[in-house]
Amino acid sequence: MSRIIPTDHQPGAKEAGTIEFLDRYLSGTDSVYAKPDGSGFEKLEGKRAEAWQQRIDVVREKYIEGIRELDRRSQAQFDADFVRLTTEQQDRILADMERPARQIEAALEQAEATAAWAPVEPAMQQTSAEIEMNFFPLLALHTRQGFYADPIYGGNKNRVGWKLIGFDGPASLAETHAGHYTTLPYFAEEQIDWGREDDRGA
Amino acid sequence: MARKRKPERVDVCIIGAGASGATAAKVLTESGVRVVALERGPWRKHESFGGDELANVNRYNLWPDPLLNPRTFRASEGEDPKVELFCPVPQMVGGGTVHWQGWLPRFTESDFRLKTIAGEVPGATLVDWPITYADLEPYYTKVEWAFGVSGQGGVNKYESPRTKGYPCPPMPMTRYAQKFHEGCRKLGYNSFPTPMAALSRPYNGRPATVQSAFAQQHGDPTGTRSSALSVFVPDAVATGRYDLRPDCYVHEITVDEHGRCKSAVYQDADGDFIEQEADIFILACGAVESARLLLLSRSGRFPNGLANGSDLVGRNATFHEYSAAVGVFEDPIYAWAGGGYVAASSYEFYEHDDARGFVGGCHIAAAGVGIPLPINWSLPDRPMWGAQAKQMDRDLYNHSFAIGMVLHDMPQHDNRVELDESVKDAWGLPVARITLKPHPNDLAQGHWVIDHNAEILEAAGAKKTYRVYPERVTGNCSHQHSTVRMGNDPETSVLNKYCQAHEVDNLFVVDGGPFPTATGANPTLSIMANAWRVAENIVRQRGARTAAMAREE
Repeated sequence: MSRIIPTDHQPGAKEAGTIEFLDRYLSGTDSVYAKPDGSGFEKLEGKRAEAWQQRIDVVREKYIEGIRELDRRSQAQFDADFVRLTTEQQDRILADMERPARQIEAALEQAEATAAWAPVEPAMQQTSAEIEMNFFPLLALHTRQGFYADPIYGGNKNRVGWKLIGFDGPASLAETHAGHYTTLPYFAEEQIDWGREDDRGA
Repeated sequence: MARKRKPERVDVCIIGAGASGATAAKVLTESGVRVVALERGPWRKHESFGGDELANVNRYNLWPDPLLNPRTFRASEGEDPKVELFCPVPQMVGGGTVHWQGWLPRFTESDFRLKTIAGEVPGATLVDWPITYADLEPYYTKVEWAFGVSGQGGVNKYESPRTKGYPCPPMPMTRYAQKFHEGCRKLGYNSFPTPMAALSRPYNGRPATVQSAFAQQHGDPTGTRSSALSVFVPDAVATGRYDLRPDCYVHEITVDEHGRCKSAVYQDADGDFIEQEADIFILACGAVESARLLLLSRSGRFPNGLANGSDLVGRNATFHEYSAAVGVFEDPIYAWAGGGYVAASSYEFYEHDDARGFVGGCHIAAAGVGIPLPINWSLPDRPMWGAQAKQMDRDLYNHSFAIGMVLHDMPQHDNRVELDESVKDAWGLPVARITLKPHPNDLAQGHWVIDHNAEILEAAGAKKTYRVYPERVTGNCSHQHSTVRMGNDPETSVLNKYCQAHEVDNLFVVDGGPFPTATGANPTLSIMANAWRVAENIVRQRGARTAAMAREE
C-alpha cells in the first residue's frame, strides 16, 4: 500500500494507516458501517449481513491469492519475497501486476459499466462492484479508501489524506451529523445579483 | 406462529414511497382518500444518515446492494446478459430523493412535442406526449412551493411560461458555479442558478439548508434539504390516512375475474406473505421496477404480464447517461463545497436545433469532481497508483470542476426491460434485465455537448480540459423513463394520458415510466408534478363516481 500512495514530502498510505483500514474491513461485518454520529459501528442483520459476509469472504480470498502471486513473481524475478525488495523492485512487480489487470479492466470497461475501478468518467454516480474486481485494482481502491475515508474506519490518520488535497473536512462524523459542519467559507466571495425576488403568489 | 390477519381493504394502494409514490400519497390523503403504501425498503429517519462517503457510496448504505438486488444488462438480444447495477436508485422511503442533491429544472414546451418539432428519427420511436407543458405547469408550481425550491424565475431565457416565481431565492453561489457563469457569459450563452430542492432561507417552519460537503449521494442527517422523505411523507402521515408499511416487498398484483386489479401480494419484514386489497393500485417503483412488477404479475387474463396485451411494457426504455467535461484551473475552486452540486446551469443546448446535426438537446450544469472526496473519482490520465497519481490528487482536487450533461437519449423499440429468469434477487424473484444499445443520435449529441462544455471551461480560464464522451449508455445515472408510455392510442402506449392502464382501469403508474421520451432535463420535478396531476385526477374521478352513486340511491 505504501507503493500505491507513496510517502514524499507529505505523508502517504503508510502514515495514513491504510493497512489498519484494510485489516478492519477484512475482519468481518462488525465494521462495515460507522454509526452516522461516529459513536460506534452498525450491527448488520438479516440479508444485509449475509451479503456482506459473502462479499468479505470473496475479497479476503482475492487478497490471499494476490499476495501469493506477488511473492511468486518477486521470487521469480529477484529471489526474495515482496516485502524484502527495494521500492524500485516492488514498483516493477506491481507494474507487471497492473498490466494484465489493466487489460482485463479495459475489456470489462468495454463489456460492462460497473466493474472497473476508477472509471475514466469523472464523478460517476455509481459504485464499483468489488467482488468483480481483480487483486491489483482492489488493492489500489482500498488504499485510496483508507487514505481518504473518514478516520473512523482506521485509515486517514490525523487526516493526512484530507490535508494532502486540501479538503477542509469535518472534525468528526458527529459534526456533520449535528449539522455544524459548513463549507460556506469556500463559496464564492461575491454573489451575482439575479434580480428582484419574484413573489407572484407568495 | 399465529397467521397474520389479512389487512382491511383500502381505497388506494400505492406500491413505492419514493418521489412519485409519496407525492401521490400526499395529494390523495389530503383529499380524504385512505392510502396503504407498500415500500420494499426501510423507513429511515434523518438521524440514520451521515457524512460518510465510504458507507454511502462504496458500501451500499444507500445504493442497492448488487448481491441482494442485482440487475442484468446486455447490449442486444443475442448477447449473454451480465449482472450489473444498471441505473440503480436507493430503495427506501424517499427513494432517490434521499441521496440526491436535488436539481429541479422544469421541462420546456418543446419536450412535449419533440416529434412534431424534429420529425421522424430513423430507428427511434420518438413521439409527442399526450399532455402539454400547460397541463403540467400548475403542478410544477405546486411541487416547487411545497418543497420550497430555491431558484430564480425569468433568468433562464429558454424556460417556458411560469405562473409563479420560486418560493426561495437561489442558493448562494459556489466558486465552481461562478466559473461556469463566467465561461457562459464570455461565449454569449445564457446561464442561471440551478433550481434546487434546498432552502436558501427558512421556509414553512423548516430551517435553511446546511451547506455540508456531504450532499450529493449522501442522506441528509439534518433534514434541511427538501425531499419526498422530509416533505411529502410527513405531509401524508399528518392526515392520519397514510398507512406506510416499510420493508414490504410486493411480488405480484393479482386480478379479479373482470381483469381488474384485486390485490397486492407482498412479503413483509418477517418474510410472511400478505395480501392487500384496494379499489385502485398505483405503481410508483421507478420505471425499471414498475415494469418488472407488471411483468411479474402474470395471470390467465394477462399471460405476458399485467396490462401488457400490447407487449409494450418495458419497451422504449430511456436512461440519461451522465457525462462531463472537466477543467483544471490555476486558482482554487473547492468544487466540493456544498456537496459539489450547488450549481449553475444552462439551457443553451437544450432546445432542438437542426443545425447541430442531432435531435434534441440537454441541460448542462457545473458539478464537483469528488463525492466529495476523490475516492470514487478519476481522470483519464491519472495513473491507478504511485507518485504521479498522488501528485495529481494534490494538484487537481481543489482546482478542477466538471460541466456535466444528462444525455437526452432517443427511445427505441428494442431498448427494454424484461425479466431475467436465470438471475434471482435475494427474495427469489427474477431480476430486471436491461437490453440497450445507444442510438447514433445519442452519441452525436453526447459528442457535441461535451465539446461545447469543454469550450465553456476554456472560456472560464481552464488551463487544461478533459472531454469524456459518452460512448455507451452504461446506466450510470438514476434517471429512468418510458417503460410504460402514456399515450392516446392503446396500440402504441400502455397508459392513457392520466397514466391509467388502457387495459386495466384501476391501475396507474406515476414514476418516470409513463414519460414517452427522456427529455434532456433531470426528471424528478416533472415526475412529482405528473404524480400530483394524476392523483388529483383520481380524486376527481372518485368524487364524480361517489356523486353518481348518491344520485342513483
